[in-house]
Amino acid sequence: MLNCYSQKYLTGIIILMLLVINTSFAVAQQDTTVKAPVHPGWASGIVLDEYSQPLKGAKIHIKGKSDFVASDANGRFEIDAAPGAILVFGYPSHLVREVTIKDNSKLTVKLDDSYLVNPQTIDVLYGTEKKESELGSISTVYTNQLTSTPASLYVYAFPGQLAGVYTQQVSGFTSFHTAAISSPSIIGQNLVNTGSNNNTSSDNSEIAVSVRGQTPITIIDGVQREISSIDPESIESISVLKDGLSTILLGINSSRPVILVTTKRGQPGKPRITFTAETGLQQSLSLPTPLPAYQYAYLINETLTSDGKLPEYSAADFNAYRNHTDPIGHPDVNWFKTILSDYAPMTQYKLNVNGGTNVARYSISLGYFDQSGIFNTASEVPYNTNNDLSRYIINSDVGVQVNKNLNVDLQLFGRVQTTTEPGGNNGGGYTSVLNSLFSTPNNAYPVRNPDGSFGGSIIGGNAGPYSNNLLSQTEYSGYIQNLTDDILANLDLNYNLNGVLKGLTAKLKGNLSYQSITALNRSLQNPSFILNKDSTYSQYGQIVAQSNVFNTVYTSRQSFGQAALNYDRQFGKSQVNGIALYDSKSLVTNYDLPETVTDIALKGNYNYDGKYFAEAAVNRSGDNRYPPGHQFGTFYAVGLGWQMAKESFIKNNFSWIDSWKWRGTYARTGNGNIDQQASLYYAYKQTYNSNTPGYQYQVGTGYTTNYYWFDNPLANPYITWESADKIDFGTDISLFKDKLDITADYYHDRYFNVLGYRGSTVSLLGTPYPLENIGINLYQGGELSLTYRDHTGNFNYFVTGNINLQASKILYEDELNSPYPWTRLTGTPVSGVIYGYTAEGLYQNAQDAATSPHIAGYTPQAGDIKYKDLNGDGVINQFDESPIGGTKPLIFYGLTPGVSYKGVSLTVIIQGVTNRQIYTGNNDIVNQLGLDYSTINQQAYVSATGRWTPETAGTATLPRLAVSGYVNNGLLSSFYVKSGDYVRIKNAELGYTFPYSVTQRLKVAGLRVFVNGENLATLAGFKGIDPEETTMGAYPVQRVVNAGVSVKL
Amino acid sequence: MKNHINKILPAIILLCVVYGCKKYEQFPVDKITINYVFDPRDSAGATAQSYLLGVYAIVPNGHNRVGGDYLDAASDDAVSSQTSTAQVTQMSTNAVTSFTFPSGENIWEGTNPNGTPNSFWAGIRTANEFIDNIGVVPVKGALPNGVGTRWVWQSEARFLRAYFYFELVKRYGGVPLLGNTVYNINDVITLPRNSFSDCITYIVNELDAVKDSLITTPLANPNDNYRATKGAALALKARVLLYAASPLFNGGNIDGANPLTGYPNYDVNRWTLAANAARDVVNLGGYQLDQSFTDIFLTQNNPERIMIRPGGNSISIETNNGPVGFQAASAVGNTSPTQELINSFPMQNGLAITDPTSGYNSADPYAINSTPKRDPRLAATILYNGHPWLNTSLQTFEGGQSKPDINTQQTLTGYYMRKFMGIFENTPTYSSHSSDWVVFRYAEVLLTLAEAENEAAGSPPSDCYTQLYALRARATIDPGPSNTYGVPQNMNTAQMRAFIQNEWRIEFAFEEHRYFDIKRWKLAQTVMSQPRTGVSIVQTGSTLTFNPANVLNTVFTTKQYFHPIPYDEILKDQNLKQNPGW
Repeated sequence: MLNCYSQKYLTGIIILMLLVINTSFAVAQQDTTVKAPVHPGWASGIVLDEYSQPLKGAKIHIKGKSDFVASDANGRFEIDAAPGAILVFGYPSHLVREVTIKDNSKLTVKLDDSYLVNPQTIDVLYGTEKKESELGSISTVYTNQLTSTPASLYVYAFPGQLAGVYTQQVSGFTSFHTAAISSPSIIGQNLVNTGSNNNTSSDNSEIAVSVRGQTPITIIDGVQREISSIDPESIESISVLKDGLSTILLGINSSRPVILVTTKRGQPGKPRITFTAETGLQQSLSLPTPLPAYQYAYLINETLTSDGKLPEYSAADFNAYRNHTDPIGHPDVNWFKTILSDYAPMTQYKLNVNGGTNVARYSISLGYFDQSGIFNTASEVPYNTNNDLSRYIINSDVGVQVNKNLNVDLQLFGRVQTTTEPGGNNGGGYTSVLNSLFSTPNNAYPVRNPDGSFGGSIIGGNAGPYSNNLLSQTEYSGYIQNLTDDILANLDLNYNLNGVLKGLTAKLKGNLSYQSITALNRSLQNPSFILNKDSTYSQYGQIVAQSNVFNTVYTSRQSFGQAALNYDRQFGKSQVNGIALYDSKSLVTNYDLPETVTDIALKGNYNYDGKYFAEAAVNRSGDNRYPPGHQFGTFYAVGLGWQMAKESFIKNNFSWIDSWKWRGTYARTGNGNIDQQASLYYAYKQTYNSNTPGYQYQVGTGYTTNYYWFDNPLANPYITWESADKIDFGTDISLFKDKLDITADYYHDRYFNVLGYRGSTVSLLGTPYPLENIGINLYQGGELSLTYRDHTGNFNYFVTGNINLQASKILYEDELNSPYPWTRLTGTPVSGVIYGYTAEGLYQNAQDAATSPHIAGYTPQAGDIKYKDLNGDGVINQFDESPIGGTKPLIFYGLTPGVSYKGVSLTVIIQGVTNRQIYTGNNDIVNQLGLDYSTINQQAYVSATGRWTPETAGTATLPRLAVSGYVNNGLLSSFYVKSGDYVRIKNAELGYTFPYSVTQRLKVAGLRVFVNGENLATLAGFKGIDPEETTMGAYPVQRVVNAGVSVKL
Repeated sequence: MKNHINKILPAIILLCVVYGCKKYEQFPVDKITINYVFDPRDSAGATAQSYLLGVYAIVPNGHNRVGGDYLDAASDDAVSSQTSTAQVTQMSTNAVTSFTFPSGENIWEGTNPNGTPNSFWAGIRTANEFIDNIGVVPVKGALPNGVGTRWVWQSEARFLRAYFYFELVKRYGGVPLLGNTVYNINDVITLPRNSFSDCITYIVNELDAVKDSLITTPLANPNDNYRATKGAALALKARVLLYAASPLFNGGNIDGANPLTGYPNYDVNRWTLAANAARDVVNLGGYQLDQSFTDIFLTQNNPERIMIRPGGNSISIETNNGPVGFQAASAVGNTSPTQELINSFPMQNGLAITDPTSGYNSADPYAINSTPKRDPRLAATILYNGHPWLNTSLQTFEGGQSKPDINTQQTLTGYYMRKFMGIFENTPTYSSHSSDWVVFRYAEVLLTLAEAENEAAGSPPSDCYTQLYALRARATIDPGPSNTYGVPQNMNTAQMRAFIQNEWRIEFAFEEHRYFDIKRWKLAQTVMSQPRTGVSIVQTGSTLTFNPANVLNTVFTTKQYFHPIPYDEILKDQNLKQNPGW
């Protein structure tokens, strides 16, 4: 209810603001009136940008001629063209427009932003750099590439758009964290972006992102913050820094790639106001089809009888299930249809204001986002129990030129987020609801009993999985909330020291940020009832009254200070740039001692005539979590570049080559991941612990509980950071007047001192060995991006795509000297390898089953999975396990075509992966193991009907059903390895920008309506489950169809 | 303004510098280092003593220890009722290898040094750490004989270390002896195994060295009932020497002269040593048989207990092993005792049921309605059809309350285990009771004495009979007119041996004796090669028909006399030699 009001309230405020500003726009509009031309008879007019503000520097020429004129500071132009001639208007990163001169009236031409941006400078760590002199490997997306994705996080826009970035959507909703802070050094490990350093919490639990095989660090406006929920409209650009030279200023954390988010800064000029409202519907993808009760009962009987056990269901039972004659005693409930809704809404409002003068500039972004979940709610429950994410974000930036030399920039960022989920099973939230949903058979219990009470079942015991009714779990079990608040303040001082030394500037940066995650648990649990034969009711399940538990889950306070001297000067044809930098970051999370990371770095680059480039950096960097005396290391990088197109042999012979740059970097980087695991928290000294559950002993006549002292895991006094040698070679080519851009990269990243366990972890030691710096891993691959853009008349079109090859290999892992080479991991890919038995299909006859090698203690039968005896010893055991999938280099690609014509635009983002394999053996949607008749039966799905029977022996897709068969058929084997290849239309947007003639009449600067969507269509190599989200019971991936309007003022 | 800035700025910088100098924690104070645990200034030694408790905690609690089952369910006394393949069943059917040995009995590899005691190497490490460091703690107090408290504690740790070594030796044969060394990350550990003989000598020497530095029974403080006493040290010594004298190790080496798997030769003197060690415990005088058989396991500090592993107050024995079908007292009945075990109990007159004069009635095998009754230990050990339980008469006939035959877990043999449970014959439900695991009890010493004396002497000495009479008297077997408690008279050594072996079986069922006893007697190959049987009782009207039923075909090969050393450990330590056959 509150949400509802605040939503309307916000909308109201915004509309009010619009009205106020609208009047000011009407006044401002006066300036754009066209004045009389200087040259009578010439065509003249004014060029406007998206905000209907004068666009300076637009190039105008007559079609077919090469001479052009440029618009002046007021957007005005004059050109000697007669009526009937076609004028072509162009401006970088804007759509080309052609206008036919009709008469001598003045033209007003508005140029719209293009989808792709072709910038001159790109954002790099702690600054910007000219694109032509950049030596690293950087992929970038800009605002328009982000805003077309209707989602809670900007990372949803990554798939397919960034070369070298591999993504996988693992959930359709954010995860919840409700456990209280309990002790030091276990600082909410489940919150942490497991790959990323410095143990800050991450709000991205939905899209797994890896760059060249590594989990990236997110840096927002120069400071590491793992925040993925910034309004895309307020983001200027997101760069992914993939090579070592680009990240070397992070020193001890420089091994990981960086996602560099730069938010919009104020631009001088009149206020540019954008208001966007959009709303969409989400639809769950790949929900499975459960077996109807009678089929389920039939298959359970088959499971039992094939082992000579008594059948559980009679013919009368089948009939009752099939004909639904006894919905209480013989229920057949499709729980997916009962507790899930077909569509869930998603709404967002965004307001961005940007403007300023030469003295002061400002940028303000205000956003509201609301995403509902997939669960049904009960009208009689007075509060919302469905999943819900509601978020406000404000980002403001004010820059002031205090005097000639001093510039001060203050940025404030705030985020207030509330997420709600149903109470679920015993306060387990939505994940527990989904777990129950995916494991409850249709015939487990009726939704409600005749008296209205919740149906239940005693199977599995009074506290068993069917004692808590699913409807009750979803709609009547209270709610749980996560409240996340962030404040971030950035202060930047830039002082121009030209007076001291020409080209010298000093920069000071201070940042404070605070995050708090709290949880409110207002869950409850209702009993279930079984209607007995004598019409009495038996109660099962526990009753838990509504709780009111408040937990502080995570707090962090981070301070970051940076001082830098920058020297930049041109000497003749030589350009020299140098940076001396000191920074220190201190992070206090929960109970932990502050973690302080310090960098002292020097970086210099040189280029001669824009032709030859050299760059080098060295960073002395340390982390106070390492043993004293061994906290600092030296990290360094070099890069070289050559702009071949400026050489005369190209310039004179191949005029269609605009730019052809070769570049290469090498870096020795560090990965200070000591904060990745609680077990590494100050574990260089042997420590002891007590008061730990599980470590108690009851003694004496009264059994007094004593929590005894015990050794913490063995200390590793030699622990140090992981290191890497990273090499990147690349080339950037622009051809045909920048119509075709090609970027290609090859990388060779060798990681060493990788944490791992030694092979000889002998038990005689009496305690587990700690992590040690042992392993060596190699990642290599290539990335190729192609972009082609052109226009025919007013028809602008582009296509951009990237294809990536990624391979990894364990070069050294301290493995045991196993007699069988296929059991070793050395030489296989670092991650993603599926390790298990090689299946040779199903036994088709009893004789084959009896005579083939099999696991000890099991007698296989026809219909069981047959395994390959790799070492030929006549028995299937661990020596017959080998890598059975995921060993091929991964190929992933993205393709984004787009067209626009007279305000109508369409873009489509396609993403695909090949050479990928997934393991489905633990997903009951695919396998038959929900029917294994262990103590509790689980749900089974239509795929189970493909099980082996003597009649279907030839066509069976799954092994036979038998209680005893699980021992054999449940083994991890290639039988359950499926193709993980897929191609997905990740995103598409169709938009219409109203022409100036209309917007002028409406007294707005710009107006755009659009429809876009996410996860629109999929072509998968294996169709049983979603190709990205392969875990059973995860929140389903959502297809989103969204429509909105964007007003510019 | 500019002048002001010139003053304010240095002031701010100065403030920052001064402020920046404040001290902060370099290493978290909540991380406790060794000088706190073994504190040279702590005359109470509270943390050190607490650390010693952690060593005690590694002594296993045998209740449902191996994958939810009693270890003896891997012997011929019982089978597991679990619907999935139980660890004990894997062991008894030889469905194990050196790399798949069930975790519940893989006491070599467990890497968990916490309260779940699965690795005795962890126990030896923590004991060594305690032994090496306790010396600095100036604990007040001393035993009456003058031994300072810290040395008493150290002796307890040495006792526990010896106990852990013996647990390893009786399963694996000779193992590496580590001495007092606590290895750390720098050590490359490639130790070979010491011989069986070395290990026995080491353990016995350790026990001899510490026996007079331990507290004694009767306990000055009843709350010390968990601690190692002189009696415990001597009882362990007796058990160690009994095993060392037993056929498997003493002359019956399965691998010829392999020094790891036993002595290469037979020496009758080993039996004498065992007898003497048992006699030493008897001579301590602090112990006697508890006059109630069920009471041994339910009452703390009863006079029969020599050492326990405290188990607290709980009903977990009942919920794990009690009969199924009781709604108010739900239980899963993991343990299904075999017909072979039931048959080994004599009648109350002491005569074996195979004795034609015993009065055994196969139509009323448990002598519920007829006389003579069965050995009362049967009713105290087994729940059978008609056994009073939870205010009813137990139904284990086909389709009965506790054997409903509906695909859920239930007894496989027609029997449930009764031993260790509280007195719930006439109560509606279970309630918590003391459920310690008895590691050593006096009855073991008496039987050890009887067995060793029988083997050491040419023919059974009268003392053998005396011990058996004592046990049977406590079991309330009828003494009979000649006060022989049904023990056949004038047996030769072999007859006496067989009789004592049966007495071990019925007296110590489920107490982790049988599993090792049939190995050390080298009987396993015989008894485990026969099918395990139970009974299928069909009720027709009020008539019961008892049909034998095979429930499991156990398998035993010679290699199973020893546990395999885990496969990976052999690869990791090239000097470790695998046991024969694995």
